[in-house]
Amino acid sequence: MDKIAFWDCNASFGLPTRGALKVCASADELVQELDWHGFSGALVYHTAQHDQSPVVGNRVLAEAIAGNPRLIGSWAILPPQTSELPSDASFFRAMEAANVRALWAFPEEHRFLLERLTFGSFLDEVAERRIPLFVRRAIGWPVIYRLMEQYPNLTLVAAAHGPWGEDRLFRPLLERYPNFKLDTSRYEQDMGVSELVRYYGHECLLMGSNYPAAPMGGPRLMIERCDLTPEARRAIAGENLLNLLRKAELS
Amino acid sequence: MIQSAIVDEFLTTGQCASCRVIDLHAHYGPYQGIYMPNHTPEQMIATLDRCGVERMVTSGHMALADMVPGNQEITELTERYPTRWSGYTVINPNYPELAARELALYDKRKGMVGLKFHPSGHRYPLDGPNYAPALEFAAERRLMVLSHTWEGPFNSVAEVTKVAEAYPTLDLILGHSIYGEWDGAIALAKRLPNVYLELTAAYAANGIIEKMSAGGVTDKVVFGCDLPWFDPHYAIGCIIFARISESERRMILRETALRLITPRLRH
Repeated sequence: MDKIAFWDCNASFGLPTRGALKVCASADELVQELDWHGFSGALVYHTAQHDQSPVVGNRVLAEAIAGNPRLIGSWAILPPQTSELPSDASFFRAMEAANVRALWAFPEEHRFLLERLTFGSFLDEVAERRIPLFVRRAIGWPVIYRLMEQYPNLTLVAAAHGPWGEDRLFRPLLERYPNFKLDTSRYEQDMGVSELVRYYGHECLLMGSNYPAAPMGGPRLMIERCDLTPEARRAIAGENLLNLLRKAELS
Repeated sequence: MIQSAIVDEFLTTGQCASCRVIDLHAHYGPYQGIYMPNHTPEQMIATLDRCGVERMVTSGHMALADMVPGNQEITELTERYPTRWSGYTVINPNYPELAARELALYDKRKGMVGLKFHPSGHRYPLDGPNYAPALEFAAERRLMVLSHTWEGPFNSVAEVTKVAEAYPTLDLILGHSIYGEWDGAIALAKRLPNVYLELTAAYAANGIIEKMSAGGVTDKVVFGCDLPWFDPHYAIGCIIFARISESERRMILRETALRLITPRLRH
């Protein structure tokens, strides 16, 4: 068997306020899950970043992953107008110091509109620095369409999309915006991944599980055995994510 | 990493020779609201081969919309692939006369192994009177009945309980394991010998496989993945990586379904 290095771009830990069928309380528990499923590492966030506040959650995440090279952090963003988080170069330097190389936006939880009127030049800078911004597709495809129209060079990853095969909704974005990406979590259409790669190339897909809400085992076996070249499987499993994170200019 | 011969074999070959999967919840053809790239009969059989699935039991998407041509379409496919493809006769309670006609054809359609209900899709409760003739028919013949089940109106624990208790001679397979009403579904499967939990979509609710195991009902849990909707490997991966024993993996992927379907095969 070709040895494929799996990296999960969409995993989290921390106790969710509303409870869940399966929780992952700590970074250590997450690492145990990665080991169980044969993953090399993960890009992670903490539940406090959406259940509480990015002001607290970003710090909690940074402390939890410190010194663990298998966990790379993502920070959550807030509108610059309220000055709760820095929006100048110091923010990006702090990301680098904390081994944080991507961002998440949770507009519904923190009640803001994810668009140019709110984020202005901040997201221009995120785009220029090629820092990946993750959003859940549940924020709505119209929001994502508008965001890409306003920031066409933004590296945007629509994550945690459901099992209903929303190709009719996301394929127009893939055609138009080369930096628009999808994670694989619950993109489980039979032969969906291989067909998408045939039309759009493997660069648009990142291995993601949406753990702990969804299991890692499903996407693990699906990507390991999908009908693609070994190179494409390796890229989707981990290399695409690591390349994106490497390109992020933080200093 | 997890130590499991089944996991190793699936990762290495995409299938498991000693544990050929039986899929009790499949469909056929395109459907509203979703793009499915792989839904022709030949493509679906190729997927079964790729993923080590020995047999699937399908209800046609056409049949969910219109029973008459849809059940006939599935009948023809079961005749074309008798060793791989079995069928459920779909009953739409909104059209009782057409449903009676479909039941009358059941015995002649040798590839059928049971009935399929979709109460929420048909907006008609599982315990409503229009389902009674089909339930009596299934009970007389000791058929499998696969019903879509989910929290909310039409097919939740409340409706399922009434039907399972009223018709103990049919085997009621709860499609999606009454998604969201996990405790009720597990309790029902534990209490009633004729109730089985089917995993389509439920497998992606992380922790549910372990919860069913802890509830002592693994021997009542069967595999399904809505093919041609979902890649069987996604579903299989969720199951085999769960923290359950190797024998439980075999029960879910094959053994319980085999026990259910074997006496009902008529080809």
